[in-house]
Amino acid sequence: MGTENPGRQQFPPARPVATPFSVAPPQNMMPFSSSGPVVGSEASGFRPIPPGAPQPMVPSSTHVVGSQASGFRPSPITRFSDPSVPSPPTANVPPIAGQFQRFPAPHFPSTVQAPLSHAPPIGQPLAQPPAPPVSFRPRPQIPPVPMGSPPQTVNPAVPSLSAPYSSSDSMYQAPRPNFQSSFPGYVRMQSNADSQAPPIPPPFPTHQGGYASSAPPPSSYPYLAQPGGYVPHPPVAAPLGMQSRDQMQHFGSGPPSGSIQGLMEDFSSLSIASVPGSIDPGIDSKSLPRPLEGDVEPKLLAEMYPMNCDPRYLRLTTSAIPSSQSLSSRWHLPLGAIICPLAEAPDGEEVPVVNFTSTGIIRCRRCRTYVNPFVTFTDSGRKWRCNICSLLNDVPGEYFAHLDASGIRIDLDQRPELTKGSVEFVAPTEYMMRPPMPPVYFFLIDVSISAVRSGMIEIVAQTIRSCLDELPGFPRTQIGFATFDSAIHFYNMKSSLTQPQMMVVSDLDDIFVPLPDDLLVNLSESRSVVEAFLDSLPSMFNDNANVESAFGPALKAAFMVMNQLGGKLLIFQNTLPSLGVGRLKLRGDDLRVYGTDKENMLRLPEDPFYKQMAAELTKYQISVNVYALSDKYTDIASLGTLAKYTGGQVYYYPSFQSAIHGEKLRNELTRDLTRETAWEAVMRIRCGKGVRFSSYHGNFMLRSTDLMALPAVDCDKAYAAQLSLEDTLLTTPTVYFQVALLYTASCGERRIRVHTAAAPVVADLGEMYRQADCGAIVSLFSRLAIEKTLSHKLEDARNSLQLRIVKALKEYRNLYAVQHRLGGRMIYPESLKFLPLYGLALCRSKPLRGGYADASLDERCSAGYTMVALPVKKLLKLLYPSFIRLDEYLLKASAQVDDLKRLPLAAENLDARGLYLYDDGFRFVIWFGRALSPDIAMNLLGADFAAELLKVNLKERDKEMSRKLMSTLEKFRESDRSYYQQCHLVRQGEQPIEGFLLLSNLVEDQMGGSNGYVDWLLQIHRQVQQNA
Amino acid sequence: MVTLWLWLFSFFFLLGLLCTLAFQLMCLVDLEYDYINPYDSASRINRVVLPEFIAQGALCFFFLLTGNWLTFVFSLPYLCYNVRLYMERRHLVDVTEIYNQLRWEKKQRFLKIGYVILLVFLSLFWLLSSISVEDE
Repeated sequence: MGTENPGRQQFPPARPVATPFSVAPPQNMMPFSSSGPVVGSEASGFRPIPPGAPQPMVPSSTHVVGSQASGFRPSPITRFSDPSVPSPPTANVPPIAGQFQRFPAPHFPSTVQAPLSHAPPIGQPLAQPPAPPVSFRPRPQIPPVPMGSPPQTVNPAVPSLSAPYSSSDSMYQAPRPNFQSSFPGYVRMQSNADSQAPPIPPPFPTHQGGYASSAPPPSSYPYLAQPGGYVPHPPVAAPLGMQSRDQMQHFGSGPPSGSIQGLMEDFSSLSIASVPGSIDPGIDSKSLPRPLEGDVEPKLLAEMYPMNCDPRYLRLTTSAIPSSQSLSSRWHLPLGAIICPLAEAPDGEEVPVVNFTSTGIIRCRRCRTYVNPFVTFTDSGRKWRCNICSLLNDVPGEYFAHLDASGIRIDLDQRPELTKGSVEFVAPTEYMMRPPMPPVYFFLIDVSISAVRSGMIEIVAQTIRSCLDELPGFPRTQIGFATFDSAIHFYNMKSSLTQPQMMVVSDLDDIFVPLPDDLLVNLSESRSVVEAFLDSLPSMFNDNANVESAFGPALKAAFMVMNQLGGKLLIFQNTLPSLGVGRLKLRGDDLRVYGTDKENMLRLPEDPFYKQMAAELTKYQISVNVYALSDKYTDIASLGTLAKYTGGQVYYYPSFQSAIHGEKLRNELTRDLTRETAWEAVMRIRCGKGVRFSSYHGNFMLRSTDLMALPAVDCDKAYAAQLSLEDTLLTTPTVYFQVALLYTASCGERRIRVHTAAAPVVADLGEMYRQADCGAIVSLFSRLAIEKTLSHKLEDARNSLQLRIVKALKEYRNLYAVQHRLGGRMIYPESLKFLPLYGLALCRSKPLRGGYADASLDERCSAGYTMVALPVKKLLKLLYPSFIRLDEYLLKASAQVDDLKRLPLAAENLDARGLYLYDDGFRFVIWFGRALSPDIAMNLLGADFAAELLKVNLKERDKEMSRKLMSTLEKFRESDRSYYQQCHLVRQGEQPIEGFLLLSNLVEDQMGGSNGYVDWLLQIHRQVQQNA
Repeated sequence: MVTLWLWLFSFFFLLGLLCTLAFQLMCLVDLEYDYINPYDSASRINRVVLPEFIAQGALCFFFLLTGNWLTFVFSLPYLCYNVRLYMERRHLVDVTEIYNQLRWEKKQRFLKIGYVILLVFLSLFWLLSSISVEDE
């Protein structure tokens, strides 16, 4: 798995290691040759040992830890024979454990002492042997622990172990905890697998850190290695069993054959077999894995390659890239990346801007890779080697710097592009096709009767007016307006006018723009006219009784106004387009179409006009954001196409009423207008030889095979790409990825944002699973599934999703189940423990759920357009929303927001006496239990508490509790501003609103024809076991 | 003699068909190798799609009129396929999704070319056989 980065490790291989390992040379070399000896060694050590003596392996792993000692091999064997091992038949299980303890004893004497300064430990191990056997026995009996958290289960065994230790030095005690935690893992495995010693070994390595006797040495080791730049070790120190296991595998992976055992089991398992005599399916639903902590970014890769860009910008579905096509075809999950090029960085972590004024931007001559931290300088600093194509490039004179003794540039600390994974280069004129465009905002507003009635126009006008000061790009920002009903109205806002002039074009067949200029004006010059216009807009159409909508012609007109510059086009649409080109039929949602081959046609644009328009708009750098606010069917499937191919976004407010949804529209429009936006952008992802990005998913249009055209990008947009491998074997130990986004900043500067990341190449499937990133996988899955609904039935999309999860788990099971005799248990990698749940949530999400009756067509389509553009965190929150009980928190004055605990999304958690908050990142639902104390309701709702909650607006009242609730909600909103969570109130039993707002979103419950969590797991498990 | 003229007529029709298909294929390959942009590629292809369909339909009709049942039957599936594409409005390439459909569009055109070449041989056989019959 050759993880290291050759360039970085200056460290010679750890010294002691070298000797011991000589015994098992091959493996060590490959993976950790320079840096990782500690870990890697374990894996290698295992292989040699004959299968007959599985346990020895274990010891070997320990050796690794204590690798210093050369004599290990022999010792393990002896151990076996050790008296401590219980009688043979049962022995299998126990021995494992037994060895464990035993092992330290033998080892130490022989090996550890010599190399290590930690002489004291030796004494301890000796003491241990007696104790361990005893403790171990019980373990097998311990019921298999659900994957959750190992630590607790272990306890029984642990105490005994700890006892001996305690006697020993105090310094040793610290390590103990690790021991325990890692133990649990053992326990589980052993209980299932009778004979297999191999499983055990894995834990060991983890232990190393924690293992009292051996602990000191290992820990010291890793540290040594680290300085060299090898990051992975630190984890060893981490107490958690699970983590440690992961790490180890990570290290241990070598050639597949040996590695499987060496890697060991970092998998988790779940007992699903039913208990005899009980009707219960045998799953304790409480113990099932749930992402209650939200999304956890993978840390391993960042530790291994500290110069990688932050995972908020780029996340790989697995941090271990398979070395061959055959290997990647066995990884049934998608292989790819989720990219969010402009993700918001917390204060202090902004992307540094680099300006190469004199030298031009340093790039590889052949593959055009930008200079990055992974390039190496040679020839005393005169040349640099591209990390992606390995071409030697000349260093331009002005960029030259001497190298120090270790081959590092002496000016490294002044060169952020050589130390940071994310940088921004200021692009010179070669990167411009035309002068950088100013930020342009053009508003196309529906003023037909339904728009007037809903109050939309007023809110939009007010919001735009309040944002005028904050529009990015002052003083170059340009702005323009057009309104339409059955005709199109243009507004001349020339700065010399005092009032805007309205011009009406009613010839829809031959659209023309009445004025060449002055429809799009510079905001700072025409400020007063713009303000006058926005002030008068709501009243201008008050009496408009026009029901028609000439949307298509208006869109064309807007295009004509904007195509000189490009920019952002915001469309506020309230009625189904009914006149001129692009008119749409009320094709509606037809129950009879569902389940037939024509079902997907509903979700495709009806008129090719929309796709053509979208293509034209992108070509001229216009990005469209569609705000659809109709109370009737508006064919979002067609309208959304405009946003999809222009890098835009669809906002959908069903049955918009300004009194109810006004706040949401106001906040989201403000966000849209004021967030930092990158204009006329293109994005390309480069990667090393042997891999290539084969397909891209998200809201954009491809301009060439690998160039995404993004007329406007902002921090709330993420894109997915799938990787494919070429026929040849990957020979390099590392693959590099580089995302480059060339854009015009609002300030008028042309810039290139570059994110670079490295990932190790592995030849072992287990390693890929171990390093999988569940969040990225789910993101990619959701994009693929939503795209599939455009060409297939909903059911097909769901089935194919399920099938892929099953295949992946089956493959994983084949890796481990046989050796460990895991019979009836469900096993999965620790890294993917949430995958089944997210898969279920995805099948229950709006774009994919159920059939005709489960979501309206418009809602489905708009959710689909939204979800394909969401960053990972936001998407996971939408799939598995947070669900919190609030009443106790509100009653207790001292309670803090941080104390709020997320609950599993199941109706059984709803207590009639409680008050619950459901937050999916797009809205809040507050659920009032039937038996909730009237006090709370009174405090929060005032006099409205008895009214129908649907019509009640939650607002701050002059009560302590109300203030607390509002500030809590505000805090949740602050954590992510990309969408505004509007608050919906619902009382228990208020049907059908309750079902529609909350109950249908409790993904763990059974709903209609779909499975609950437990059934879903059972179903997946059954399918995994078929022919397994 | 009439046969020869008829054959020549159908032969040039087939040749024309072959050319339009080859042209479309060329556009797609150029696109794949990044020699032209998707807008140009799509508009060029779409310009010749309808002529291709019409030519093929006319050819079929011609075969029918001249009583070449065998060739007519043989070119019928092609016609049906084209008609279906047209009815489903999938006959034009889609600029926005052209890269995702590239593989399929190319395959489809390769198959069509193969099919037309087969037709050419078949009609050649028809010519030879009819000439030999005339000679007798």
